[in-house]
Amino acid sequence: MSDVSFDVSEGEIVGLIGPNGAGKSTMFNLISGFFPVNSGKITYAGKEITGLKAHAVARLGIGRAFQAPTLFMNLSVFENVFNGFHLRYQKSFWKSFFHTKGALEEEKRARSSVMEILEFMGLAQLKSVQARNLPHGHQKVLGVCAAMAIKPSLLLLDEPLSGMHPEEAATMGEIINNIRASGVTIILVEHNVGAVMRLCNRIVVLTQGRKIAEGMPREIAENEEVIEAYLGADDEEEFD
Amino acid sequence: MALLPTVVKSPYYMHLVIMTCDNIMLGLSFSLLYSTGLLTMAAGAFWGIGAYTSALLVMKAGLSFWIALPLSGMCSVLIALGTGAVITRIPGIAFLIQTMVISLIIPEVVGYSEFLGGWGGLLGIPGPSPIGPLRFVGKAPYYYLVVVLLMLNVLAFAALYSSRVGRAWRSIRVNAQLAETLGINLYRFRLLAFVISSAAAGLAGSFYAHYFQALEPGMFTAFKSINVQIFAILGGLNYYVVGPAVGAAIMTFVPELLRVGKEIEPVITGAVLILLVIFLPGGVLSLPERLGSFSWGLMRRTKSDGAPAKPGLYKGD
Repeated sequence: MSDVSFDVSEGEIVGLIGPNGAGKSTMFNLISGFFPVNSGKITYAGKEITGLKAHAVARLGIGRAFQAPTLFMNLSVFENVFNGFHLRYQKSFWKSFFHTKGALEEEKRARSSVMEILEFMGLAQLKSVQARNLPHGHQKVLGVCAAMAIKPSLLLLDEPLSGMHPEEAATMGEIINNIRASGVTIILVEHNVGAVMRLCNRIVVLTQGRKIAEGMPREIAENEEVIEAYLGADDEEEFD
Repeated sequence: MALLPTVVKSPYYMHLVIMTCDNIMLGLSFSLLYSTGLLTMAAGAFWGIGAYTSALLVMKAGLSFWIALPLSGMCSVLIALGTGAVITRIPGIAFLIQTMVISLIIPEVVGYSEFLGGWGGLLGIPGPSPIGPLRFVGKAPYYYLVVVLLMLNVLAFAALYSSRVGRAWRSIRVNAQLAETLGINLYRFRLLAFVISSAAAGLAGSFYAHYFQALEPGMFTAFKSINVQIFAILGGLNYYVVGPAVGAAIMTFVPELLRVGKEIEPVITGAVLILLVIFLPGGVLSLPERLGSFSWGLMRRTKSDGAPAKPGLYKGD
């Protein structure tokens, strides 16, 4: 990736689109600390986060849902979200070790917050189902739930709609809107350009590791260079 | 359990019971690391470190066993911190091999050091000094001591597993990438597990030194660590507490009762390990589940581990 620069303001949903191999997921891996950054800067809330490790990035409030459902597959839906509460505990290691009253109460509060998240996302009924037994659409929602567990202020969603049938996609779209409405900023990588157009305030277009356009959905849809980039790419990429 | 010494009169069987308890502690220390997805081959080495530290503190520094016991745990902690700071950075096969290297080096270091007793080992290690009316003569007092140590060990580990630390460990084992995205510092939690596990092994070693009252480098070679691995695998890797207990009991009693010679023991244990991995990767405790007839409440996996997992050895699940 080179010469890519864009800003995201608080409360926005910014779409990151581009043909396969454009570097969208790479961008996410750079932001969330999985890939090393060779040059350039990433700042978040006024702080430079370039080169931070993934757990440190999470600590700052940047959550991430992966493209392929990345879950604790042999744990239940509830535990998948519960395990995401790691950063929220205030009580010390020793208090948690000795199961003091305070630590137990904290855990109890965490458990009810897990249920709140599951209800918010519509997975409450499935709380004791093993993650591996969920249908694909639900697994993707659960991935977002887990990311929400860290109480992010910025959420990176990597193709949340991929592999979903239209109904599931509509539900996911609604969920994304709800999350934004609750005050979370979102960066969205998505192949389904129609959905990106509907959901996002602003869109950044990448091809081959470069930014070729940035603007409102309408501007992007009319941008010559963008259309060309998409037509020149594999035929599975298209506007709809 | 407290009445066992009054029932079992034979010192030979009491010895096996005591050894079983000591081995269970080692098995627990192995399965603690496994709970975070690390397979260690250094359990035996840290057991040796604990044993030698304790023996030397008593014999050369003249300390009481009751002070040497926690100090030997501390010594294991320090060595685990030093080595773990390097080796827990790269999990998987690299960690396995590096712990293997530790368990190859430690006996050599001891063997070539005159101060540490050399290849001849240490003889005449004094037993624990009496506490009140309890004098350490015969098997029974040692049995009570080892049971107390084992209970403390089990309690501490159970507390860890049910706390947020245990959840973080489990998250790392099940999906390290996701765990990191959720803010878990993989390195710190792996190092913590390595240190705690080594401390437990060190305490088990300290007890052994003063129980058996003789040590030599051959006692904690890589074979010891392989044996420990078998305790955990034979019982069932998914049963963090009961698994090592069952495995250690079987592996302590069966070879003895079959009167297997010391020379061919490694052959037997090797064969057991291979057969286990092929035919019973879930361990003995997975048998009821496998037979599909019933599953015993006690033997169920830690509740928060969810439904029975497909046993998967050496390949993460």
